[in-house]
Amino acid sequence: MSTLNNAPLPFTDDLDTSGFWKAATEGKISIRTCAACETVLHLPKLYCHKCQSWETYWRDVRPTGTLYSWTVTVQQLHPAFPTPYTVVLVELDDAKDARLIGYLEGTPELKMGMAMRASFKDVEPGVTLVQWEPDLNS
Amino acid sequence: MSQEFQHRDLCAISGIGSTDFSRDSGRTPITLATQAALAAIADAGLTPAEIDGVVHSDYDLVLSSHIAHSIGILNINFWGATGLGGAAPCGMIGLAVGAVVAGLAKNVLVFRALNGHSGLRYGRGTAVQRSAGAHFVGGNGSFDEFFLPYGMLAPGQMWAMIARRHMAEFGTTSDDLASIALVARERANANPAAQMTDRKMTRDDYFSSRMISDPLRLFDYCQETDGACAVVVTSVERANDGPQPAAYIRATAQGSGPQSQAGSYFSALMREVLTVQPSAWTAQTLYQRAGLGPSDIDVAQFYDCFTPTVLLQLEDYGFCEKGDGGRFASSGALDLDGSLPINTAGGNLSEGYIHGMNHILEGVRQIRGTSTSQVAGAQTCLVTSGIPITTSAIILRAAS
Repeated sequence: MSTLNNAPLPFTDDLDTSGFWKAATEGKISIRTCAACETVLHLPKLYCHKCQSWETYWRDVRPTGTLYSWTVTVQQLHPAFPTPYTVVLVELDDAKDARLIGYLEGTPELKMGMAMRASFKDVEPGVTLVQWEPDLNS
Repeated sequence: MSQEFQHRDLCAISGIGSTDFSRDSGRTPITLATQAALAAIADAGLTPAEIDGVVHSDYDLVLSSHIAHSIGILNINFWGATGLGGAAPCGMIGLAVGAVVAGLAKNVLVFRALNGHSGLRYGRGTAVQRSAGAHFVGGNGSFDEFFLPYGMLAPGQMWAMIARRHMAEFGTTSDDLASIALVARERANANPAAQMTDRKMTRDDYFSSRMISDPLRLFDYCQETDGACAVVVTSVERANDGPQPAAYIRATAQGSGPQSQAGSYFSALMREVLTVQPSAWTAQTLYQRAGLGPSDIDVAQFYDCFTPTVLLQLEDYGFCEKGDGGRFASSGALDLDGSLPINTAGGNLSEGYIHGMNHILEGVRQIRGTSTSQVAGAQTCLVTSGIPITTSAIILRAAS
């Protein structure tokens, strides 16, 4: 159980979701999208439920969004995540129907709807997490 | 009778049974399930040999055939399971009703058993516990890779985010959540079987309880419970031959809503609107099948893993306008003498967390007139099961 001290890492080789993680290693956010009707297919999936198309692709989007909600976790759940810490839910500017999760240490000052900017954190060779923080320049 | 909804009033719950609710049962789930099942069957005036169908929850460690063997049923002709998790119990009743109406079984045992405190503690997040320290998480359609690596681990964190959205969109306050916690606690204080029967709570107690995942405090969270609950579903004719007043099953419904994504639990954060839940769609189906509406409901048992879970359902089941759940909860409407008394045994919040199965037993007690917080003259009871992935609900009524 020694690995319990480490944060869980994303499995990046899933057939449906690996494109997201590959893009992250390149410093990009890529969202599965329908080629026919542009419906956002996040969490990533290969078939468009809106227009019944199999023509879907990875679309690069800007690393910006707005804060949709958040929680400050005070009671520890996992040794890799010392409390308090903040989990944010960010709606992407270029893909409103996609929301991504981010981790922030401590209790940063946040406001509903505020501008957020992504950063890319290499956590292990070949594994990069997309993280979010308030976009102070916006 | 409408041919379209021909299960209406054809079946009833004829027996109920449960174990004690504790934090350390000292028994396995199969033992707990066996105790609850035997109690429910005896309450129905039956013997195990007369049970020919069983329904279990997809989260249960005890399967239908296990409990059948354990209580000495020679042969079951029908069994099934539904879910997901807390969304199961009313859907499990629906499955039993379907079996009885279709002639697949006569007397169906429906049960839920868990060691929710001494065993796997759902409140701490099941994915991380089940991964047992695995380095990599997610894949295989779980989509956990988008959540767990960021410290998004437990249901309460997700409900904190949903609550904050409701607060931002509609002006709901922690005071409103406190109103829900207090109602559940007061009903539990009257219920000797409730885990919190001896634990009084004031509004000050609520606000001084420790923050778990802001804006949710300890008393916004349900209990973690070891125990089991079971019921017997049968035809109204057989139920009326039994020793107990039959609780007629007016209608049952399940509902996913249009955005029930694949993935475990946190995928519900991708819903277009977080403040409308599958309960909105389920309510429409249920009321249509029942030929009843919110104004016909005398008392309700709302699934309450967290206080905001109740708040959203008050809106989705049509007891107030969307956005007014907080104000409605704080208006006194949910009190025993209010327009909609709720969770009269204390609910998941204060009676115990049998994953919503205990709500069905309390619904039956209200129809029988035997609740420890009896609503005078209750003829109808709405019972709901968990959100946010999918959900289910039933309306019980007196034979009249």
